[in-house]
Amino acid sequence: MKLEIGRIYIKDIQLGQETSVKEGVLTVDKEGLIAKLKEDERIKDVSLDVAKPGEKVRIIPVKDVIEPRVKIEGGNNGFPGVTSKQAQCGEGKTNVLYGAAVVTVGDVVGFQEGVIDMWGEGAKWTPFSKTYNLTVDISVVDGLTPHAHEETVRIAGLKAAEFVGLAGKDVTPDEVITYEMGSIFEETAKYPNLPKVLYAEMMITQGLLHDTYIYGVNAQTILPALLHPNEELDNAVISGNCVAACDKITTYQHQNNSVIEDLYAQHGKEINFLGCIMVPEHTTLAGKLRVSDYVLKLAKMLGADAVVISEEGYGNPDSDLLMICKKCEKAGIITQLITDECAGRDGMSQPLADTAQEAVAVVSGGNVSHVVTLPPADKIIGNAAAIAVLAGGWDGALLEDGTLMCELNAVIGSTSEIGFHNVTCRLY
Amino acid sequence: MKSIIITNNPAVREKYRNVLFIDGSVEDTLIKVRDMVYQGYELVSHPLAASIRMMYSPYRSVILGRQEAKVDFLYAEIIEDSIIKYKRHTSHRKKDVTNSDDYQMIDLILLEAALSEQQITW
Amino acid sequence: MSDKYKVLYYVNQFFGQVGGEDKAGMAPEYRGEKIGPALGFEGLLNKNGEVVGTIICGDNYFNENKEKALDFILGTIKDIAPDVFVAGPAFNAGRYGVACGEISKAVAEKLNIPVVTGMYMENPGLDICKEVAYVVRTSDSAGGMRKALPIMAQIADKLAKGIEVGPPEEEGYIPRGMRKTIFVEKRGSQRAVEMLLARLKGQPFTTEMPMPVFDIVEPAPAIKDLSKATIALCTSGGIVPEGNPDHIQSASAQKWGKYDIAGRDALNAPDFYTTHGGYDPVYANEIPDRVAPLDILREFEKEGYIGKVYDFFYTTTGTGTSVSKAKEFGTQIGAELKAAGVDGVILTST
Repeated sequence: MKLEIGRIYIKDIQLGQETSVKEGVLTVDKEGLIAKLKEDERIKDVSLDVAKPGEKVRIIPVKDVIEPRVKIEGGNNGFPGVTSKQAQCGEGKTNVLYGAAVVTVGDVVGFQEGVIDMWGEGAKWTPFSKTYNLTVDISVVDGLTPHAHEETVRIAGLKAAEFVGLAGKDVTPDEVITYEMGSIFEETAKYPNLPKVLYAEMMITQGLLHDTYIYGVNAQTILPALLHPNEELDNAVISGNCVAACDKITTYQHQNNSVIEDLYAQHGKEINFLGCIMVPEHTTLAGKLRVSDYVLKLAKMLGADAVVISEEGYGNPDSDLLMICKKCEKAGIITQLITDECAGRDGMSQPLADTAQEAVAVVSGGNVSHVVTLPPADKIIGNAAAIAVLAGGWDGALLEDGTLMCELNAVIGSTSEIGFHNVTCRLY
Repeated sequence: MKSIIITNNPAVREKYRNVLFIDGSVEDTLIKVRDMVYQGYELVSHPLAASIRMMYSPYRSVILGRQEAKVDFLYAEIIEDSIIKYKRHTSHRKKDVTNSDDYQMIDLILLEAALSEQQITW
Repeated sequence: MSDKYKVLYYVNQFFGQVGGEDKAGMAPEYRGEKIGPALGFEGLLNKNGEVVGTIICGDNYFNENKEKALDFILGTIKDIAPDVFVAGPAFNAGRYGVACGEISKAVAEKLNIPVVTGMYMENPGLDICKEVAYVVRTSDSAGGMRKALPIMAQIADKLAKGIEVGPPEEEGYIPRGMRKTIFVEKRGSQRAVEMLLARLKGQPFTTEMPMPVFDIVEPAPAIKDLSKATIALCTSGGIVPEGNPDHIQSASAQKWGKYDIAGRDALNAPDFYTTHGGYDPVYANEIPDRVAPLDILREFEKEGYIGKVYDFFYTTTGTGTSVSKAKEFGTQIGAELKAAGVDGVILTST
């Protein structure tokens, strides 16, 4: 499978009358996009805005972040199985508006959080303060069920990314990155002496606001599935996860999965990268046992020497992570874990309650309970009431001047468990 | 019914019959689960949700299965760890009461996702 | 008045040059001068700080009159109001270490004054204070003084000036157990791949989240016939005879006790109570059997379910007691019980 990702560098973003990229400036046809989204009769209103790095803007509550792209060759444009007909992802050419992002806001339930600050202290903690963001705030018609509401906002975000992405159709990319891997047999014949490494990517798949989709299929219903890494890098996986702001994998992070990128970089040099296993996280213990057995079985069938395992979320998924780790290590397959930790607000607590002596190689994305102080914004995109949810944590969390204190778990992408950000914890 | 739902969520009580309703907090609910696990009940669903935000939910439902003669140490470890984690995250926080209805709904939906899995074996 | 910051120093009778073991019972005293290590310490502050005085206390006095000693010491420190408080280093001296630990903890927590001390890794005083004080890692004997003092001075200097103290491996202190959230240059996935490659090549690597290490103790084989077995009772719940005749510490125990229970049906109040400082003692003091259940063991003995209850019970306090001390106690008690032909032990904790 061969995929060429053409990056078109985006240096600014604005709303206007057409959708285009000219000399790095992305212009979005405001009325055109609103009309396109309103084709869905469940949408009552669409409000578009832009947020640029450095502006004193706060976006809240963020539902998803999506990278705008366009398919140039092979497959189907958009998100096959969701916004377009089924097609094979991961082959051909895709242009991306690199540095731009569509950010959907709007709450399905009242307790959603997920903040992006574009400036100052808050900006350090989220990778999406560095992207030029088109914010899409969706309000829906009355009487929708929560499931329909969530779906409406999810699809609207993907359609918006598709609409904006078209601006890159006839633009020559600034940089082209090629992701190419033959069959496992071919690659193993090429690199017979390199250790065979799998990537097991855990996904929250537990119900409304807690879902992930692969080619539009709700991953709650799947057994762990083998994907070619190119498929995920080419729009096959999308997020329906509206909780776990700090460590959820947004659609943008699936499209640009950092573990896949960094394993690819070593393919043929230090390792033989076999592929990705998409691992659903269930709520039942039987589900967790089944999934961990299944991951081990796939790893054995593929002859893996090592598995990189990344988690999504915190709480019950910790059990899955350690079950997979223990089973693989006992079978002689070495594991590399990526997770985040809760060491309490003062950092003095034992990071994980579940522990496994087999988990000897772990990367930490940081302490989800670390408290950050966010100064007041000049402009809020989204729902200012969501700040009250954030600030409602404890007495004194919201100061009179509007400065608010919250734990990292409210900040989008801050403690990424696919290692997308550069935060960690160190023993002091 | 072979399974029993331990819950403090009124929406769950309304909809299901095999419910042991706890008129109290999430912590009370988890402690009841712990006690029953030590009486040999099988822990069917994980006591915690998948995110910290859901830990702030004032409602929680956990499914238990059959009562066995012996305590399963895996279950005991999971519920004990869950209580520690739960307390760590919530002890310093105020209860989020304004969003009670939403939390009830999501807890019910997550419970139903669990109920749809392999129920025949519980 | 100079613009130097103020340091106050604590040492025991030995380093305070009062005397050896014979002076270990001396009550705390304040001297408005630099004594022992305090003398060299000031020279290491590069004229930025000044040691204004030294508190000296006997190790035995402190450990046996903790509250009184702490009252005096805290009162003195409060009056002098130093910018930094320095204790020790205590190396591997147990009683001195516990005194440094307790004082450091109290000063940091109650007076909110930054504290530096120094200890050997296995000093029982370490666990008492390492979370709130900076404990410099020293060798196990006073021969390490020359090495320890400059490291302690450097940290004290930073604390006094309000400069952030760096990571433990750079600064030379023992990790306080704090998981500090920091930014690093490489993103997580990159670090994960590098760690994996190191592991695949058999090279050393450092996990970012060390799992706690537990001792795995092989369980002893089951007792074949309980009805013929002698069973001993042992607790870390601090149950002692009235008056606590052996002065077992209420926390960070330095010793254990052994008491004759041959003629007793139960550990009744007020003949017994708990000296344990780590839990609410009300229920244990009402009925000490709740912690060390001699009453039930006697019932079993009468029923013939067990052969015999051993004539002595063993006790200490578990709270704050270092693992190394606990191991030492366990080995000693175990050897005695084995020699006495005891077949099994009921070991209760709190």
